[in-house]
Amino acid sequence: MDENSSARLKRRLLGIVHRVGLFLAMLTICLPGLWIVLSSLRPTVEIMAKPPVWIPQEISFDAYIAMFSGIGKGGIPVIEYFRNSLIISVTSTIIAVAIGMAGGYAFARYRFRGKSSVFLGLMLTRTVPGIALSLPLFFLYVRLGIIDTHFGLILAYVALNVPFTIWLIDGFFRQVPKDLAEAAQIDGCTRWQAFWQVEFPLAGPGIASAAIFAFLTCWNEFALASQLTRSVSAKTLPVGLLDYTAEFTIDWRGMCALAVVMIIPALTLTYIVQKHLVGGLTSGAVKG
Amino acid sequence: MKGFKPSAPFLLLLPAFIVLAAVVVVPLLLSLYSSFTPFRLTRPETFFVFVGFRNYLSILANSDFWWAFGRTVLLLTIALNLEMLLGLGLAMLVEKATRGQRILRTLMMFPMMFSPILVGFQFKFMFNDNIGLVNNALQSLGITRDAIPWLIEGHLAFIAISVAEIWSSTAIFAILILAGLLAMPKEPIEAARVDGCTPWQTFRYVTWPFVMPFAYIAMTIRSLDVARAYDIVKIMTDGGPAGRTELLWTLVARTAYSDGRMGMANAMAYFSILLSIAFTVYFFNKLAAARTQIGAEW
Repeated sequence: MDENSSARLKRRLLGIVHRVGLFLAMLTICLPGLWIVLSSLRPTVEIMAKPPVWIPQEISFDAYIAMFSGIGKGGIPVIEYFRNSLIISVTSTIIAVAIGMAGGYAFARYRFRGKSSVFLGLMLTRTVPGIALSLPLFFLYVRLGIIDTHFGLILAYVALNVPFTIWLIDGFFRQVPKDLAEAAQIDGCTRWQAFWQVEFPLAGPGIASAAIFAFLTCWNEFALASQLTRSVSAKTLPVGLLDYTAEFTIDWRGMCALAVVMIIPALTLTYIVQKHLVGGLTSGAVKG
Repeated sequence: MKGFKPSAPFLLLLPAFIVLAAVVVVPLLLSLYSSFTPFRLTRPETFFVFVGFRNYLSILANSDFWWAFGRTVLLLTIALNLEMLLGLGLAMLVEKATRGQRILRTLMMFPMMFSPILVGFQFKFMFNDNIGLVNNALQSLGITRDAIPWLIEGHLAFIAISVAEIWSSTAIFAILILAGLLAMPKEPIEAARVDGCTPWQTFRYVTWPFVMPFAYIAMTIRSLDVARAYDIVKIMTDGGPAGRTELLWTLVARTAYSDGRMGMANAMAYFSILLSIAFTVYFFNKLAAARTQIGAEW
């Protein structure tokens, strides 16, 4: 065989290997999620069947209908949990982004003493594991009477999100050239006006994605929520998921359905922001 | 004459400082204090009894604690290294793809959208010895006849947890490393090839140094929430069977809320906080070093 055709063969083989690898990787990534969706649509008998039923015989939305038809019929108060999750996540996101914008702007545009150690310090507050933080917070909240309230959880989530929001927003402001705001100031804008008219619109999409990221953190948080909430009036969806597990039995189908309900907002939002998210995290990685 | 006039960055950062002080720093000081008391939730008066380092000493002598500590470090080491390798592999696979890269990128982010609690639940479902996908598949393919007790036997449960953890977090590495690969200028690679480098050499000495800061960003982000593993373990095995998968975080939660021994739990919590901080500072420094290296070469 001459060198040319053997090289061509090698190349084609490599191409096939690459495709197979890619396919297997994507399968591993997607399969667990798809399995959950599928299970939520199947009757419990089929999930429990031995030997396993691989091809679904009947598809029904019973689990979803039961879930949203209130306490008693579906077993757990999903609608209340959903509302709590939404109120807590949205409020704490708005506050965290406002604080994060101020902080991120300070890091991106000003030079001050101890800048990098302040930044590291902010990040370190985020490293405290939720469960370790929940111990003193639990104690304090009981004393202050804000345990099991929306306010308590919102406060905790704002603090949880601020460091990361600052990191992201700092990155987005760095991508906006300094000259633009300076030009606006020369043309007679105050710094305040220059910020809102020039820099904010340019960094806008990035800030939106920081907001969505903060929202998702709140939406998904479990360790703090599970200790700081007790009743239907403040429990969030991740904590509610545990309602489907009894001592020895688990309502797999109900849990799968709730999992799908939890994942859909997260999926949509992440899809919207994916491009900006990576940009924000890595900006400044190459040019420090 | 005007009074004290704080600088602009200070004012801008003030709200962040206030919130973090209120929710993180002050509570942590409180928990530091209570780690020196025999505080129990059921007996509030014990909050004011000072016992010095007794909690810490009894932790040091507690073999359960050291097992949990060792297991946590082991899990982090295995998970982070494999995530890094798999993430790198995945990023390179996707980068090589000529068509449909946007869709592949979106699919790749899929696990990131799952909250850890969902990841835990999903793998608990899949690894269920009776009805789980894994056992069903293995039995249908005839690889094993008996059901493998994934979450019931200690070592297997540890493997199952590691799989869940790796599945959920490889995406972060893959995405950031991919961002690095895409941002990389093509000339150095071509130059290396012209100069006769093998593919491995090109990767090792050209691509890898460039991608490294991105990998460290991923590491830093990951180390910011290594404790996410708490959610996964909590729901998959809850530390069982017989404490065989107990990690620091589940141990802390159990000591605090089930046993009500807050003082002891706070002392343990400080160990886990120090562990997290050590991870973060380490990767933060690596990140800074990698940045300056790139700055010098390109």
